[in-house]
Amino acid sequence: MSEKQLLKGNIAIAKAALECGCSCYFGYPITPQTEIGEYLSLEMQKRNLAYVCAESEIAAINMALGAASSGAKVMTSSSSCAVALMQEGLSYACSDELPIVLVNVMRAGPGQGYIYPSQGDYNQSTIGGGNGDYQTIVLSPCNVQEVVEMTYKSFYMAQKYRNPVILLVDGLLGQMAEPVNFINNPYEEIDNSSWRLDGAKGRPSREIHSLEPEQNKLNQHILKLSEKYRYIEQNEQDFEEYLCDDADIILTAFGTMARVAKAVCNHFREQGLKYGVFRPKTLYPFPYKRLRELSIKAKLFIDIEMNLGQMLRDIRLGVLSNAQVSFVGKPVGDWLKKEEIISAIENIAKECHASL
Amino acid sequence: MIKNFIISGSGGQGVLSVGSILANIFMLNDLFVSYCPCYGAEMRGGAVNCEINMSDSELLCVQNDKVDFVIALNQTSFDKFISKVKENGTIIVNSSLAKINKTRDDIKYIFAPLTQEAMKLGNIKITNSIALGVLSKILGNFTLDNVKLAYEKILKNKAELIQKNIEAYLVGYNYIQEKDCIQCQ
Amino acid sequence: MQVYSVPKSIKENSTFTFCPGCDHGVAIKLVAEVLDELNLRENAIAIASSGCSVLLYDFLDVDCIEAPHGRACAVATGVKRAHRALKNDKFVFTYQGDGDFASIGLAESMHSALRGENITAICINNTNYGMTGGQLGPTTVMGQVTATSPLGRNRQYHGFPIKTAEHIALCEGVSFCSRVALYNVKNIINAKAQIKKAFEYQQQGLGFSFVEILSTCPTNWKLSPSEAHKKIEEEISKIYPLGIFKDIKND
Repeated sequence: MSEKQLLKGNIAIAKAALECGCSCYFGYPITPQTEIGEYLSLEMQKRNLAYVCAESEIAAINMALGAASSGAKVMTSSSSCAVALMQEGLSYACSDELPIVLVNVMRAGPGQGYIYPSQGDYNQSTIGGGNGDYQTIVLSPCNVQEVVEMTYKSFYMAQKYRNPVILLVDGLLGQMAEPVNFINNPYEEIDNSSWRLDGAKGRPSREIHSLEPEQNKLNQHILKLSEKYRYIEQNEQDFEEYLCDDADIILTAFGTMARVAKAVCNHFREQGLKYGVFRPKTLYPFPYKRLRELSIKAKLFIDIEMNLGQMLRDIRLGVLSNAQVSFVGKPVGDWLKKEEIISAIENIAKECHASL
Repeated sequence: MIKNFIISGSGGQGVLSVGSILANIFMLNDLFVSYCPCYGAEMRGGAVNCEINMSDSELLCVQNDKVDFVIALNQTSFDKFISKVKENGTIIVNSSLAKINKTRDDIKYIFAPLTQEAMKLGNIKITNSIALGVLSKILGNFTLDNVKLAYEKILKNKAELIQKNIEAYLVGYNYIQEKDCIQCQ
Repeated sequence: MQVYSVPKSIKENSTFTFCPGCDHGVAIKLVAEVLDELNLRENAIAIASSGCSVLLYDFLDVDCIEAPHGRACAVATGVKRAHRALKNDKFVFTYQGDGDFASIGLAESMHSALRGENITAICINNTNYGMTGGQLGPTTVMGQVTATSPLGRNRQYHGFPIKTAEHIALCEGVSFCSRVALYNVKNIINAKAQIKKAFEYQQQGLGFSFVEILSTCPTNWKLSPSEAHKKIEEEISKIYPLGIFKDIKND
């Protein structure tokens, strides 16, 4: 498996899922992620694994919910407006503590929007559209190699924390092909024999449910979930830093936009300006801790997104008040080009550049 | 060193497969590469294009305003993408299906009757490989072994088809030397 | 000589919390008896749904997962398929109300039936949304007064109800489909036989099996238990006739 392959992001996700033992996939077609289901349809049938062409995304997420209760590794994939249909299922899966990997290859919104790529689902993923106090873990890859690594990590974290994990992929990355070195899944298997539903043989019967008529019990359950989320926040913040150590100005971006941000950073570094790039790899838990440390020295943070400033809110929450925060963005379509970002920044950072 | 390419044509001209072969060749040369095909409704009406980027360091920009090379396999593509060529960049135009017309004087043109050459070889579907040969000659840094390997990766065990495409590739590769294609600054 | 004991598949010391005269208790007990008789308890996974039927796992001593409202058949599909992928065959059944099965979940129910998922669905039809206080549901009969049809169900204003079993019987993937009632001993015995057959068909891998159970809702119907049973015998079972609508072994 070590030979490099040129793989589309979507196919890389499908292959990585099989590689780490995903045995159930349920999905409904939607551009730009359809190749994931297409690829898995044959490969899973060949292996006698579970694959259902679901009648809707609502059915798909609920099939995933049922399958996850068996202890199997489960994945579903969709895109933006159809992930909206899965919000109820995610809220249930969080309350039920069921491990589900949901891949969202983002397209343009709101509503039907279009199949153009976008990063418009940051809020949908990190905040969520379901009811109640719940959190999904959200991972954001920036190239196809990382798509593979984060697919592995998604399955691992879903099992480890018994919680849904969203692999949030830019539409561009789902469709784009890059060389991939198919490493083996580095994560250990998690034992789920203490909770899975496999028949009440030689043990008391088990129930998985979110309904809880007793107020105290329900409060205890939600507080227990909350403790888990606080643990995840303490232990799982992940990020990439590029030339941040001495940076006066730090560009923040997630997914593939962070690559363009690096090109922009290189451009300003060549002019002797100390730029850096900070890229959250986990969007939940958001890497507030490191961002705060960086804001002790850096004077200006410029957030760059293919949306109108969704991660911006977290950047503002993260940086200390002595630093300024600004934004460059575009809602949907062709990715912001290096040149466009540079000229936008030259306006924003004029004063800051002069003072450096 | 970064180089970027757009290949464009109509459905059935093998735009995406030759794009993928080009990307595979770069990968086999241990370069960083990205291959972005257009998708979905962008393809309606039969227009197909893809962008390939190659670099010897981490690839940061996978979508670019301007590219070094455009291959236009028909008139529509020629009209649409000529503005995308960088100053001093090159456009390779299939003159079998596009009129020889130079609207910019800051780029290089290579007009080659790719479809006619493919018909001479008895298979119109290998137009794309002739175009790849032309591009390869200009770039001048592929080994034939890697080209063959790339075709094998895409066409798997279809030996006859691989052979035919390599033949077409070589026709394109030798075209610039042997004939006077219209090339101007 | 012991002539009766609580089924093993019913949790010890459990007391039904349904309204007096509600048929849910009888239906769950029949399901438990059949699980015992077919020796399925240790291999079964039940899918509870939203509505009064959600209480299933308070009483039934089998592994159980609660589905979001209407999604029981989709959850059951996932459970069944996942265990098959893990090389286990589990006995999987849903226990749903008519609102859950035939209104909000009609797509999931119908498509599971069409696919011929090898699961069993039990649907309690009490002609209204019971848990929320008796509103008009997909099976509320013409003329029936409910909390949201205070002047009675009306063709022009509310439209028609669904004959669930008749529709499910039309799906090619269905192995067995019947409608039963629980208003007297004869019917209860028959209902148990139909549930057993539906379960056996799943064991034999024949596809989707379905039993619709006409049930009372005395509280919301504002009738005594005996009046409610009489209503099923004299009115409801005339509109929703009892019987077997599909049996692939006999058809």
